[in-house]
Amino acid sequence: MDPRGATAALTALQRLGARTGEGFPALAAARERTQRRLADACAALGDVDVDADVTVALMGSWGRRELTSGSDEDWLVVHRRPAGAPVRPGVQELSRVLRPPAGAQEIFNRAVAVQELVRFGLDADDNANMTQRLLFLLESVPLLGERAHRDAQRAILAAYLEGDRRDRRPPRFLLNDVVRYWRTIAVDFEGKARQGTRKWALRHAKLRTSRTILFAGGLLPILGCHHVVADEVLDFLLEAFSDPPTDRIARAFLEHDAADAGARTLGAYDRFLALVDDPARRARLESLDRGAALGDEVFVEARRLGREVQQGLLALLFEREPLRRLVRQYLVF
Amino acid sequence: MARPQPFPGLVLDGRLRAATVRPLARELLADHHPLGVSTGYMATRREDWATLVRRACAVSSFAVELSALSERELPGLLAFLAGRPRLPFNYLSVHAPTKGLRRPEGELVALLASLPGHVDAVVVHPDAIRHAEAWRPLSHRLVLENMDARKPVGQRPGQLAELFAVLPQAGFCLDVAHAAAVDPSMRLAHALLDAHGARLRQVHLSSLRRDRSSHVALTRRDEARFRPVLRRCPDVPWILEAPPPR
Repeated sequence: MDPRGATAALTALQRLGARTGEGFPALAAARERTQRRLADACAALGDVDVDADVTVALMGSWGRRELTSGSDEDWLVVHRRPAGAPVRPGVQELSRVLRPPAGAQEIFNRAVAVQELVRFGLDADDNANMTQRLLFLLESVPLLGERAHRDAQRAILAAYLEGDRRDRRPPRFLLNDVVRYWRTIAVDFEGKARQGTRKWALRHAKLRTSRTILFAGGLLPILGCHHVVADEVLDFLLEAFSDPPTDRIARAFLEHDAADAGARTLGAYDRFLALVDDPARRARLESLDRGAALGDEVFVEARRLGREVQQGLLALLFEREPLRRLVRQYLVF
Repeated sequence: MARPQPFPGLVLDGRLRAATVRPLARELLADHHPLGVSTGYMATRREDWATLVRRACAVSSFAVELSALSERELPGLLAFLAGRPRLPFNYLSVHAPTKGLRRPEGELVALLASLPGHVDAVVVHPDAIRHAEAWRPLSHRLVLENMDARKPVGQRPGQLAELFAVLPQAGFCLDVAHAAAVDPSMRLAHALLDAHGARLRQVHLSSLRRDRSSHVALTRRDEARFRPVLRRCPDVPWILEAPPPR
């Protein structure tokens, strides 16, 4: 009997759990909740018409398959038609079922063309465009139009990889953009803090956990292209990005003989998810400003969990080969 | 008006240089981050916390363990930290007293619980615990260390599991030399990680004197012997309990 048979269907996170005895209960519950809510949302939309080249994608915690009780409902209609062309389903039709937009940045809950998303750099690639592009690529899940979702991701990846034809090299342009996005998130965090916006402690905790997971979940497959010839890079990345970021990270820990550290890293992240899924503790984080945070037990615990996530990922990147060399070669300059 | 600073800054009375790591001769230590030292081995300057911190920074300004091994040292450490020294460390643990224990257990725990929020961990020897539930106020900052062969409790996974059952939020400090003293084959160290690795927050690293009475700098022999265990701990601070090996 093939001994791999029993584990072949397991996700990387489940394999890491089986190897180390870590259960990741909050992550498992959040994945189940995401699947359930996706099915509920589909049912609520009924037999809405969906054009073949249109996908409705849910972003953020939906894309990470980590819905908690306080998760937002950020979505995009992504299509491969000219910008501004009418598409089905329309935004108004979706807004009747999906929660109304919460953010003031007008990034989500609208229709956007792939041809707009692949305007790289310069003025047209503003914060909203970059955020839409990279969240769609790194942490989104199709609500409607699964095939179109994959096709749109493929088109975006192809645009990134255009002219990048070297074997066994991480695609430098995509890598730079993912790093740019992560740094933008960090700088915008400080920008919001200086504007005196509320929820400093919750934003800080998320920066050190879910945003860090988003970044690492993009970075690790890109560095993994070190093992891939140029013709296979697009499919390799497309496949990797179809898994939740926590699976991509769990796989990297397993592949680099760092299961213990991986279990602690994702175990800390699991406990953070449980913390923000607790309405009282989430409300506590939402209420704390910068000056009061360090005196608060909930924030101190969230900060510790965030540091454990970061320390684990740093250990993977800097104390395991070949990642250590890849980081040195590609990540600074 | 200056905005209040929630985190320690980068200097201590203007003389510290941040981001110090003394070049380390041993590959095992040189490759690891973060690394720090315990002030417990700096016996000649005991209770002079500013000097102890400066000496610790001379090895590494990323991690430190401020060691109040005797109970009478604890009030001075509390007073030092209450003065909000602008410490550079990313990870700061305090070693709770193991000697000269005179206060009632609840009073000692209350003192330790009053340590400021930027103290990440309070490392406690299991043989200093008489009533485990009394230590609950330390919550997730409590970190239990495995004991050496001279101590009657806290050596083996099952003994620590009894404490963790009462203190479910507590973390684990693997003292590699202690585990090696109980089981030189290092199977015990691996068993401790198998059982409690999910709780691991830091490592204590050193060798022991031949009579096992005190910690000494990591020997080359122990470096080789400990390497497979330490490979399982790349993501937590390693705290040297003796001067860095030369």
